Amino acid sequence: MNIGSNLRIGPFEVFEPAREAAERFRQNGGPVFPGKLFVVEGIDGSGKSTQLSLLHKWLESKGYGVVFSTWNSSPLVKDTTKLGKKKKMLTPATFSLIHATDFADRIERSILPLLKAGAVVLCDRYIYTAFARDVARGMDSQWVRELYGFAVKPTVAFYFRVPLETAIGRVVTARDGFKFYEAGLDLGLSDDPTESFRLFQGRILQEYERMIPEFGLTVIDATLPVEVQQAQVRQIAKTHLDRAIELRVRP
Amino acid sequence: MRRTYGKTLPGMKLTDLSGKLIVVEGTDGAGRTTQINLLKGWLEERGHAVLDTGMTRSPLAGEGIRRAKEGNNLGRVTQSLFYATDFVDRLENEIVPALRAGFVVLTDRYVYSLMARAIVRGMDPAWIRSIYSMALVPDAVIYLRIGVDELIPRVIFSRGFDYWESGMDVFPGQDMYENFRSYQAALLAEFERLSVEFHFETVDGSADVRTVFTELQKKILRIVESDSRREHFLKSSDELAETLRMKLEESWVARLRDMRAKDLKILPRTEPVSSNGNGHRTA
Repeated sequence: MNIGSNLRIGPFEVFEPAREAAERFRQNGGPVFPGKLFVVEGIDGSGKSTQLSLLHKWLESKGYGVVFSTWNSSPLVKDTTKLGKKKKMLTPATFSLIHATDFADRIERSILPLLKAGAVVLCDRYIYTAFARDVARGMDSQWVRELYGFAVKPTVAFYFRVPLETAIGRVVTARDGFKFYEAGLDLGLSDDPTESFRLFQGRILQEYERMIPEFGLTVIDATLPVEVQQAQVRQIAKTHLDRAIELRVRP
Repeated sequence: MRRTYGKTLPGMKLTDLSGKLIVVEGTDGAGRTTQINLLKGWLEERGHAVLDTGMTRSPLAGEGIRRAKEGNNLGRVTQSLFYATDFVDRLENEIVPALRAGFVVLTDRYVYSLMARAIVRGMDPAWIRSIYSMALVPDAVIYLRIGVDELIPRVIFSRGFDYWESGMDVFPGQDMYENFRSYQAALLAEFERLSVEFHFETVDGSADVRTVFTELQKKILRIVESDSRREHFLKSSDELAETLRMKLEESWVARLRDMRAKDLKILPRTEPVSSNGNGHRTA
């Protein structure tokens, strides 16, 4: 069913793992949206949010119309997610589905229209976060990938790669204790929250490593100084924006 | 051993699900709810423990879906996935435990309605099928078939036209009557396709309540009292009732034990009462 001029929001249209759809897109030629979508991924403590906010500042200063979208923030869905987390009602399957619901709402009502309008959209976490977490919780990896078949393929997906111990060191000093699902306590890996967090993040890291070749993630070495990483990120972003310079919003 | 439509959810054991899963499907106003209420009383009189369940009744997502439907901003993909969340919550926490305890589970709609609604809203049929590939294959799917023309008087003289049942989010224009007709006709066409694929047992839903009920009783009796249960049943219906009750009790004792074990193991993190400013944290 058409929701706009030429885009069918039916799944598998804009998503690479579905070969047929990707093929159709190549045949149609040219970019589907005038906008650009940059996403950052990585385990907790990889520094991805810092890098994204620096990119945000830079894009704004250059006069682009930039919009920020965070994981888990749909006004329609977040109360249900909160309820499930607070009362510990979520199983791996419902955890996966409620996050997909949240993401769907943001795609349908925010990300997609913005990209059509030519905005630069920045996402702190994207479908790869869901793939990594859900599979670490025991969900079937093919099932989860199909579940997110309606997602828009990002212009660039930056993956901030960092050794587990470095990330944990940053996180443990920065906060006092972990939340139940954040530490993967629902999996019964360990009774100790910090140990459980370590084991769970280890699984997630493994999943990210697997996804680098699968989805062509752009790897940034997150052990480098913040400034060096940011220079790399801007350099890469710039190559995609040069071709879209007419999308600029004059301040 | 029970089967699913392809995938199995983590932690879901398919052995020893000795109860019966009976689905009653049909479009809005086909008489599903009336029939399920009648069937429940009747089955209980015969000594069967019955669980009845239906859409948006999950403790997790039911309220969220109702609230989302009150507004005008629930998108099509979001809607499909919200319903999937509701379904899986009930599947894992109600349907499977009840089947394990030997209950007859009567469900008012199942994945087929959810598929039909999603497909009519333009979702890829392969996509929605893959999501519900983890659903259990029921013992029977009874489809109450009714035409749009018979449906209209039922709707007019009961609750009136509803925004979502009239597909106002799908069809352009403000004509609720026309949209109701188009939307319900599209759903019926989709149900026809699904009925072949998923082996529905079709019952004429336009007949009067008593006739439909008798028809359903015949079909359900064949499933519920066909196997070894039947011998058992004839031997002593009291004995069966007792067994069912004990199984039910056991399952509750086990659930309570699990809950306690969880409470002892995990001390919840104390969270600040207000959520000012950190609503964007991911977890």
